[in-house]
Amino acid sequence: MQLGFLVDLHLCMGCKGCEIACKVENEVPLSTWRLRVKYVDVGSFPETRRTFTPLRCNHCENAPCERICPVSALHYLENGIVNIDKERCIGCAGCVMACPYGAIYIDPQTQTADKCTYCAHRVASSMMPACVVACPVQANIFGDLEDPMSNISKYIEKNQGNVQVRKPEKGTNPHHYYVGGGNVTLNPLASARLEGHSLFTKITTLPVGGHH
Amino acid sequence: MAAHEILAATNAVVTLDVALPGIVWPWLVTVNMWAKSIGTGVIFMLFMLLRLYPEQAGKLRFPTTVVSIIFIHIFLLFTLADLHQPFRMWHIFFYPHVTSAITVGAWMATAFVGLLFLLAFLSFIKKDDAAFDKTLTWVTILAIPVTLYTAALMSQSTARELWQMPTESAQMIFAALLSGSAFMILMSGSKLNYEAKKTLGVVLGLSAFMSFVLYMSEYIFGPMKAEEIAAVLEYIKGDGPYTVMFWLGQWTAYLLPMLLIVLSRASKSESILKLAAILALAGLWLVKHVWLMIPQLLPMS
Repeated sequence: MQLGFLVDLHLCMGCKGCEIACKVENEVPLSTWRLRVKYVDVGSFPETRRTFTPLRCNHCENAPCERICPVSALHYLENGIVNIDKERCIGCAGCVMACPYGAIYIDPQTQTADKCTYCAHRVASSMMPACVVACPVQANIFGDLEDPMSNISKYIEKNQGNVQVRKPEKGTNPHHYYVGGGNVTLNPLASARLEGHSLFTKITTLPVGGHH
Repeated sequence: MAAHEILAATNAVVTLDVALPGIVWPWLVTVNMWAKSIGTGVIFMLFMLLRLYPEQAGKLRFPTTVVSIIFIHIFLLFTLADLHQPFRMWHIFFYPHVTSAITVGAWMATAFVGLLFLLAFLSFIKKDDAAFDKTLTWVTILAIPVTLYTAALMSQSTARELWQMPTESAQMIFAALLSGSAFMILMSGSKLNYEAKKTLGVVLGLSAFMSFVLYMSEYIFGPMKAEEIAAVLEYIKGDGPYTVMFWLGQWTAYLLPMLLIVLSRASKSESILKLAAILALAGLWLVKHVWLMIPQLLPMS
C-alpha cells in the first residue's frame, strides 16, 4: 500500500474548510498550520483571477526530513505515510531546514517538530483524513496509489498530462499531486510577495522557545 | 530566465500565505560553527607546527589542547542550546539514525572530546610527549570529519539550495585553517619565534584568499545555475537585508587580513599579524552568520 493525495485545483475554491478541519482534528496550535491554503492573484485589473493552492506535507518517497532526522522521530509507516514521533523528537529543526516544501514547523506547545501525517490516526481506523471529509467540492482525493481501482489512481489515469508535483527537481518523489497546477500555484518563486498585498496584514507568530 | 523576469511574466502576487516562521537556525548555530572551527583548527595548527618547529611548538602541546577543549565545549553547549528539547539529547545515542549527519557528527564530536582529554592527560599529568604526538596524529585525522560534518548537514538540508556539499566542505576546512592559525598567532605569545608566526600568517592568508575566492565564485556564478540561489543571493545584493553584513564580513575576515599579512611581512611586524588574526576571527563569525541566515529567508511555499 502506498497512500497518496491529489488536489484538483480546478475544483478548489479557497474556502479553507480543509485548513480548519485539520486544525480541529489535530489540535494544531495558534500560529502554526499542518495544512494551509495559499492565495495568489494573477493578472492586471480588470483581467484578474485568484488561484487557491492547499499546501501540506508531500509524504515524499525519498523524504529529506526522514533522512536528516537524527533520532528517527520522522519515519515511514508501512502505508507510505511519513509519520512523526513527537516523544522522540529532540527539536533540532533539521527536518524544518530539509523540507523543500516548508511543511514542517516547531510546535510552540510541545517544542517538537510537527507536520501533516495524512491523519495517520484516522487512516488506522479506516477513516479518511479530516481535510478530505471537510472539502465541500471533493477537491481532495486520497487513497492507495498502488491500487489501480482506487479513486486517486483513476483520477491520475484520467488526468494524465495534467498531474504535477511541487519541486520535482529536488528528487524527493512526492506522493502528493496536483491537477490543474501551474507555475504560479506550485512554484514559490513565480509570484511576488509585495508589502500591503496580503489579506491578513497583522499575522503574529507565537514564540517557540529560547532564542528562536 | 532571471527571477524578476519570471515575476514580470506571471504578473502574480501572493495575497494570502500564512507562511511558517522563517529563521529556525538562529545565531546559536553561527556560534556553534564558529567555535568548532577554532576547536579543530588549533589542532591542525599544532600538528603542523610540531613538524615544522618541533622545539618551539613543544611548549604549545598543553595550551593548545586546553583551547581546543574549551572551544569544542562552546560548540557543544550552543548545539545543545539550539535544541528545542535539549534534555532529549541522549536520544541521539540511544535511538540513532545513521543517515543523519547530525547523528554521525554527534558521535564523532564525542569521540573527539574523549581524545582531547586523553591529550590533556598525556601532556599535563603523564608528561609523555611521544605518546602525545602519536595520539595527536589520530586526533588530527578525526578533526577532519568533525570539521566537515556540518557541511554534510547543510548539504542534507535539501530545501536550502545555496548550501552545496563540495563548496561547504571546502569552506569549513578553510574556516578551520583560518581560525586555527589566527588563534595560534594570538595565543603563542613568546613561545613561537617570528619565523613560526610568519608560517601561521601564510596559512591564514592563503585560507582567507581561498575562502574569499569561493564566496565570490558563488556570488557571481551561483545565480547562473539555479533560480533559488539567484533569489537567495538577492538578500546580499543591492538593498538586501544582509548586504552590509556580508561585505563587512568579507572585508573583516578575508580582505583586510590578507592585506595586513602582506604588510606584516614587509615590515616584519608581529603587531600587524595579530591585528590580522583578530579581524579574521571576528569576521569569520559575520561571514558564517550571513551564509546561515539568507537561505532561511526564502519562502518555501
